[in-house]
Parts: sequence; C-alpha cells; structure tokens
Amino acid sequence: MDKNFLVIENISKSFGENKVLENINLNISKSEFFGLLGSSGSGKTTLLRILGGFEKPDTGRVILDGVDITNLEPFNRPLNYMFQSYALFPHLNVFNNLAFGIKENFTSKEIEIKVKDISELLSIENLLNRRIKQLSGGEQQRVALGRCLIKKPKLLLLDEPLAALDKKLRSKTQLELTALQKKLKITFVFVTHDQEEAMSLSDRMAIMKNGLILECSSPEEIYENPKSLYTAKFIGIANIIEIYKKDENYYSDDLDINFYLSKDLKKTKTNILLRPEKIKIQSINNSKIYPFNSFNGEIIEKSYLGSFTRYEIKINNKIISVLDQNFNSNSNYNFPIGERVLCSWEKESIKILED
Amino acid sequence: MKNKFFEKYFVFTPYFWLVLFFFIPLAIIFKISISVSEWGMPPYQDIFLFDNGFKINTTFENYVYIFSDYYYIGSFINSLILALISTFFCLLIGFPLAFYIATSNIKLRNILLVLVVIPFWSSFLLRVYAWKIILQNNGIINVILINLGITSEPLQLLYNQYAVIMGIVYTYLPLMILPLYGYLNKFDLNLIEASKDLGLNRFKTFFKVILPLSIPGVIAGSLLVFIPVVGEFIIPEMLGGSDRLYYGKILWEEFFVNRNWPGASALAFTGIIILVLPIIIFQIIYSRWSEKNEI
Repeated sequence: MDKNFLVIENISKSFGENKVLENINLNISKSEFFGLLGSSGSGKTTLLRILGGFEKPDTGRVILDGVDITNLEPFNRPLNYMFQSYALFPHLNVFNNLAFGIKENFTSKEIEIKVKDISELLSIENLLNRRIKQLSGGEQQRVALGRCLIKKPKLLLLDEPLAALDKKLRSKTQLELTALQKKLKITFVFVTHDQEEAMSLSDRMAIMKNGLILECSSPEEIYENPKSLYTAKFIGIANIIEIYKKDENYYSDDLDINFYLSKDLKKTKTNILLRPEKIKIQSINNSKIYPFNSFNGEIIEKSYLGSFTRYEIKINNKIISVLDQNFNSNSNYNFPIGERVLCSWEKESIKILED
Repeated sequence: MKNKFFEKYFVFTPYFWLVLFFFIPLAIIFKISISVSEWGMPPYQDIFLFDNGFKINTTFENYVYIFSDYYYIGSFINSLILALISTFFCLLIGFPLAFYIATSNIKLRNILLVLVVIPFWSSFLLRVYAWKIILQNNGIINVILINLGITSEPLQLLYNQYAVIMGIVYTYLPLMILPLYGYLNKFDLNLIEASKDLGLNRFKTFFKVILPLSIPGVIAGSLLVFIPVVGEFIIPEMLGGSDRLYYGKILWEEFFVNRNWPGASALAFTGIIILVLPIIIFQIIYSRWSEKNEI
C-alpha cells in the first residue's frame, strides 16, 4: 500500500486577516477512507476545497500519486468532489447528470454502458429519466456520488456526505458508503462536523481546530488515547479530572479521592480522562470501599438508552458521567435517582492528558 | 360580503390594467386604421354613419397602402434589425456584468447595482444629448484622437447607424442587466464548481451550465430591450443620419406631419401585431416547456 498516495505539505491559507489553515501536513494512503473532523471554522472545508482546486493555498504543495497538483485547475485534476448540497444540474435528468463528466471522451454507446454500470452499482437504474427535483434526498446523494465515480477518480473528496440526509437514512447510507469504498478501493477524503460519522466511516481521521491538525490517528486510538484536552472532550463523553501529586499518590481536590496511576507523571499537576463506560457502578451495601480509584456518589440524573443506561453521579460539586451496560434481564437492574452508589475503575483506564 | 367580493376579483386587477391601457387603446387604433381619411379634425370619417339610414363606413385601403409601399415595410425591417443588433450587444455586455454583480460580495454588489440604476435618475433626453456632444466633430473623442496623432481630421462619429446602436445599447443596458441579475442572483455557484470538477473548462461550463440555467433571465432582458427599441424614435432622430429610416420616425411623420391618422394607425396596429403575436405564442410554448423541464 502506498503510504504517500496523497501528500499535503505545509499548506497555509488566509482570507484577508483571517488565518484559516496553518502549516497543514498530512499523508494519506491509497484506498484509505480518511476523515477530517472539526467544528465550523476549523478550516476543514477550506482544506478540502484546496484539494479540489477551488482555492489556491498561500504556501505548500498537494501531491497526488507522485504528481504535484497544487497549481492545476479543477478540470485538470484526476479527482472529484462531492458537494454538500450535491450540486446536481437541475436542467438535466439523472442520465445526463451521470454522463456530464464523460460526454466528451466517450462515444454515446460507451456512455450508455458506463451510466448503466454505475446506476446498477448504486441501485438508481430506474431513476435515469427523472428530473433532479423529482428525487428524494437519498436518491440525489446517490446521483451525486455516481456522477463522480463514473469518472473513476484517483481520489474522491466528500463535503459532509451525509449531512443532508435524515437520521435513519444516514446510518444506512453510512454502511453502504463504507462497503462501496472498500469495493472500489478509491481513496476517499471527507469532511464532517459529526464525530459519530467520522468514527464510523474513517480508517483514520484528523481532528482540526482553528486551522491546525490537533491529532491524526485511527478512531479507536483517538477515542481511547487522546493527546489533548480538546480532542478528549470533542470525541465522545469525557470526564475530565484535575489531579496533582500528594505524598506518594495523586489526589483530586474536586472529588476528594486518591488516584493510583499505572505510570508516574512528568508534571506535578495534570488533567486525566476517564471515559464513562470504564467506570463500574455498584450498590454500596454489598461492596467494599477501596482506598484508590473509587468514590461513592449520588445519582442525580439517569437516561435509559436501551443497551446502556447513562447516569450522572454527583460527588462533592462535580458531576461524573457513567455508562452502565444493561447486563441483567430482570427489570431491577437499574439504580433509581437519589440512590448512593460506589463507582470504581481500573488504573489502566485512566488516560493522562499531558498537554 | 364586500370583502369576499374584493378577494374574488382582486386577482383581476392586472387584467383590468391590461384592458384599460392596452386593449382599449389598441381597439381605438384599430378603429382609426379602418376609417376613411379626410381633411378636418379629426382627420378621418366615422365608421358608423346614420344620415341616410345605417351604414358602415370602413376601408382597408390604409393597410393596402402601407403594404404596397416598401417605404413603410422597409423602415419596419430596419427597426427590427436595429433592435436585434442592439439586443445582441446589450446581452453581450450585460451578461458578464450581471454575472459579476450577482457573484460579488454584498457590499460591492449594492454599489454596482446603484451604479447601474443611477443613469435613470437623470433625464433620458439629456443623456442622449450628452452623447451628441461627446461624439461631435470637436467633441472629446475626436480631440483626443487628433492630439494623439491617430487621425489628422475629425472622424464622423455622429449621424450614422453606429452612433444609433451605441446610444441604444447605452440607454437600454440597465433593462438587460436588472432582470439577468435577478436570475443570476439565485444561481447556485456550486454548479459551476461541480462542472469544472467534472472536467469542463470555463468556456464549456458557460455553455453547458450557466447559459442554459439563465435562459429565463436572458429572455426577460432581451424582450425588455427588443420591444421598445423597435419603436424607438428619439435616439435615431438625435444620433442617426438621414440614410436610414426607422419605424418610430415614420409613425411620427405620418401622425404629426402628414396628418394621415388612418394610415399611421394601420402602421402602428400592424407593428403591434407583428411584434406581440409571435412573443405571445413563444411565451405560451416556453412556459409549457419550462414547466415540463422545471427550470
């Protein structure tokens, strides 16, 4: 596998006084499904538009498959861009939208075959004579995807590919998109503000904030071992606790408990991350009290989520979130609001946020 | 009761307007056009005579007269050609301008729109007269050309059909830009990027995406320029020469110089029918087509 299929090198971009991207470096492998995750204003869409050729970077280069494409016009790049709004041509029907990008290079017979193939791949073969306005959101998304894929691009850029779909359709399309990408082996780079979408689609993803890449890794790695406070909070639910060294151990003022860590801290004071599903919750009467890594608190809120129950547990003035798997099949597995419970965790579950 | 009446007939207001200011005057023109002319005031006879019993006193001689003399038909054809050329140039200049205005940022857009409309705030006659001063033999253009040594004698810029076309394009350009802007303003710029992304260069993108999607604006703007230019009287009179006669000028002369009201009416009525009928038919066909294609 070519690890340097798409190389983004020192890309910076400003709009007037506003610095949108600062020294972005990324290497994306061939056939990788790569996500750019960030909130609005993080620069993720600008980066995607630079890859598409719609914006010129102030500095830096974009190299695709060994070719420097930084200064190529969009119509000369061997890649395609799927717009968030899909940007389908309203004056053309589905067939002509699909055939739009290949009309010049192929005979009408070849075009017909190609359109037939791609429409069968995306199961839109019965829509070819429809106008764009007669299509549902999901159908439009497929046409937009087909219009790009018919050109067999080396790289497909997707701007919020699922944002315009309703929730139920979104999860279905998510699975289809991943299957399609694995089947075609085309490199996909997509932009999203939705962390769940980023986690479920990406092989690897980059977290962006204020024009910088904070972290770039697999979704598992970013969730389990985030490097910064921002990513820890941005992905999933995070309990952030400040601890400092006291005698031989670590101590939290907020929780008034001792922490036992698997390794020593470099600094005397730091933030740690405790994911809610790593915390075990037990009733107080049938359990011992541990000297470390546990506390007892009062359940002040609870939401039943089917396979899980989410509790908000108050200790001193701090609220800790806990996700408890609904393991038992009898109906009394839940703790009621107001009950005091014992929460505990393994020392390996404590993630130290160094910066 | 009264409110309901109002609601029910409110939609007919535009039709009322149309009847009052288009169909009734048109009917009057038609009536005069089939009257027999005579010396007097008004310079035509009544079409219904009652002196010796009821008698309808009409004639189609006026129509025969204008169709038999190339003087009239020729002037109308001259005007159609003039309107066609002027509309073409208005479109050529107006489209890129409208597109630029529609795609620029809101601050610049408002300034540019005001600049387009500003000429309307001054008198139309004054503006055409200003062109006369600019183009005359000792006008600013000739002075510059002579001083630069490009020409030794002043060029005859005024009193020819080029001056007329220029004056018309200048005057009618806002009427082209504004409806075009109205359509292009709603244009989804992503479509242009999508077209480029799919491999079409700027030129092809214009003809495959931008132009087809702005046809309604092009038609609206072209009609707003074409129809009044056919009857334009003042600009050819002020900037044009005597080598070419235009429809508006002939109408004026027939009405006010020759006092041939029936003949002039026949000319006017024919002109309206020739212009309006194809446009109505075209509009019906076009609205059906665009409904089908959902543009």
